[in-house]
Amino acid sequence: MNIFCLGISHHTAPVGIREKLWFSAEEIPAALESLREQYMQELVLISTCNRTELYYIPRNTGWNGTPLWKILRDYKTNTEEVNEAHFYSLSAKDAVQHLFDVASGTDSMVLGDVQILNQMKEAFTLAQEHHCTGTLMNRLFHTTFHVGKRARAETEIGEGAVSVSYAAAELASKIFGDLTKRTALLIGAGETGMLTAKHLTSHNLGTLLLTNRTRSRAEELVSQLGGRVVDFDRMTNELPLVDIVISSVDAPTHILSAGDIRQAMKQRGNKPLFIIDIGVPRNVDPAVNQIGNVFLHDIDALNHIIDQNLAHRKAEIPKIEQIIRDELEQFQLWHDGLQVTPTIQQLREQFELIRHEEVGKHLHHFPTDKQEEIEILTKRIVNKILHTPMVNLKTGDNESGNDETRAKVSIVRSLFGLDKKQRS
Amino acid sequence: MRTLISVIEIILPVFYFSTIWAYARAFFSGVKTAESLKTPLLFSTVVLHFLYIIFRTTEYDHPPITSVFEILSLIAFTIAVVYTFIEFKTKNTSTGYFILIIPFFFQIISSLFIKENSEVPALLRSNLLGFHVTSALLGYAAITISAVYGFLYLMLYHNIKSSQFGLIYNRLPNLEMLERMSFTATVFGFLLLTVAIVVGLVWMPKVFGNIPYTDPKLFGTIAIWLIYAVGLTAKKVARWQGKRIIVLSLFGFAIAMFSMTIINIFLSGFHKFF
Repeated sequence: MNIFCLGISHHTAPVGIREKLWFSAEEIPAALESLREQYMQELVLISTCNRTELYYIPRNTGWNGTPLWKILRDYKTNTEEVNEAHFYSLSAKDAVQHLFDVASGTDSMVLGDVQILNQMKEAFTLAQEHHCTGTLMNRLFHTTFHVGKRARAETEIGEGAVSVSYAAAELASKIFGDLTKRTALLIGAGETGMLTAKHLTSHNLGTLLLTNRTRSRAEELVSQLGGRVVDFDRMTNELPLVDIVISSVDAPTHILSAGDIRQAMKQRGNKPLFIIDIGVPRNVDPAVNQIGNVFLHDIDALNHIIDQNLAHRKAEIPKIEQIIRDELEQFQLWHDGLQVTPTIQQLREQFELIRHEEVGKHLHHFPTDKQEEIEILTKRIVNKILHTPMVNLKTGDNESGNDETRAKVSIVRSLFGLDKKQRS
Repeated sequence: MRTLISVIEIILPVFYFSTIWAYARAFFSGVKTAESLKTPLLFSTVVLHFLYIIFRTTEYDHPPITSVFEILSLIAFTIAVVYTFIEFKTKNTSTGYFILIIPFFFQIISSLFIKENSEVPALLRSNLLGFHVTSALLGYAAITISAVYGFLYLMLYHNIKSSQFGLIYNRLPNLEMLERMSFTATVFGFLLLTVAIVVGLVWMPKVFGNIPYTDPKLFGTIAIWLIYAVGLTAKKVARWQGKRIIVLSLFGFAIAMFSMTIINIFLSGFHKFF
């Protein structure tokens, strides 16, 4: 298989190096076209925050000896620190397997990452638009997307929250179900709290209230997240109206006491209340969790959810590996089939050439009215001679293992010198 | 026809077993094939059970209420039907195992021990009694399902409260959904029990002449009805929610079970027919 991969990822390079070799959607087309004109028949360039990878089929000629990693590096500026050790290079089956691993999410920084498949689709579309793909790359990437789809449909590799903010949003959905009629109060402007609020709004949260010691900061957040501002000193007045509280404040003492919550629960008719305390030290009195219908969770509880989800995703890896093995075998079979058809074609052409030459030399020895019969007879002889080998090659393509098919194709090509004739 | 009835008696528990197996595999192991098979299996089982009841009623010329084992089969059917309705209404299929295991056991017992009575009292051939019993059983089935959902709610509630995020947390529907499913089943059960009580009160004087107002069965039934009436009123008017209303519902279920078993078997005078 004449497929190669050159790449740099979170496994081989820190973020400071990866970001130097990151190609934006605007930069990729120029790199693709240049590489195609000079070095490659087909190629796809994938560039994300965690990896930049080039999948390609090289041209037979035109390579000037400069290592490809340098060629790729030199498309970007300020890359003196990027060196060969940051790259990995794979070929043939290994390159294809790696591509499948990436698509399935098992090679991602966060196991089971679902974003990567869309990023790969975008990269492939860009390559197609710039005429950088052909039969092999098209088939390879369609198979890759199929692997990604199967991984997500047939396993639970992408399920469960694996970040604190997403775990908090998931927990909210486990308590309330439908969030469209719910109100959340974000206390503080910490990053995790903001991300949690973002996740909740992406889950169709009804209303978002924001409060911060510095009102102007809260107003800034409103412009990013939507919702409305509440005075920090009066936030306990809002508690009866709120279903979810996200607290992410730097404070030496608790900002919400058990008394505050008990009072709020009385006023809200004891409806369930979910409090996420991301503050360190904790912002909410732990005694709050003793109150009926109040669910208080801190950062440890959320990390516990994440650990369990990650363990569950890891347990799905063997299923993914089986899917990849199956698809790799199918792809290999198809790839080998590409060899069988041209081989048969070349063999026919070679025999026909010999027949034509020999008949041409000796046809004048036969009466004119017999010459057509000679043509037909010799063609039939050639067809009969070739029939059994052709059938065996084609049948072998469907039923034998890949190795046997490749061996047969290789022997036929060698015995009849097809590769020499192809080059000349 | 009797051969067909006998055959169905054997295969019906097998259908129930296949159904709960599919629901269990989907819930505990996340098997995708089981996920896609479980609802069709449930539907097939319910249809088969319905046909069984029709065939029995037609062949033996009375509704299947003349023995404990007939009643058990009827209870199994009503639970399966009510669960199917709730699954259809809420579009949530994850809790089937916890509900359908009850009809499975009831039907196995019924299939093992059921036999046709050679003499059935004319009393038990009454259509009005049949209607009373069916609506009562449907009502109790719904209350049972409500209790199972209430129990699942409490399990998930405590798991979330105590930061236990295992299988129960991952696979059960959310608390709001469980409460809604429990409430839907309660309303269904309460309405049907009301119908059963009204029909019973209409039918009783025709058979017994005087209504035995001091019979423990009547007290038990009224107590159950009142508990659920109070609960529904508390939810609607006083807006009781969450754990409080669920606990009340489970209390009502406990009284209902007491009435159906202890009172019916040992204490009631007029409510014994076989």
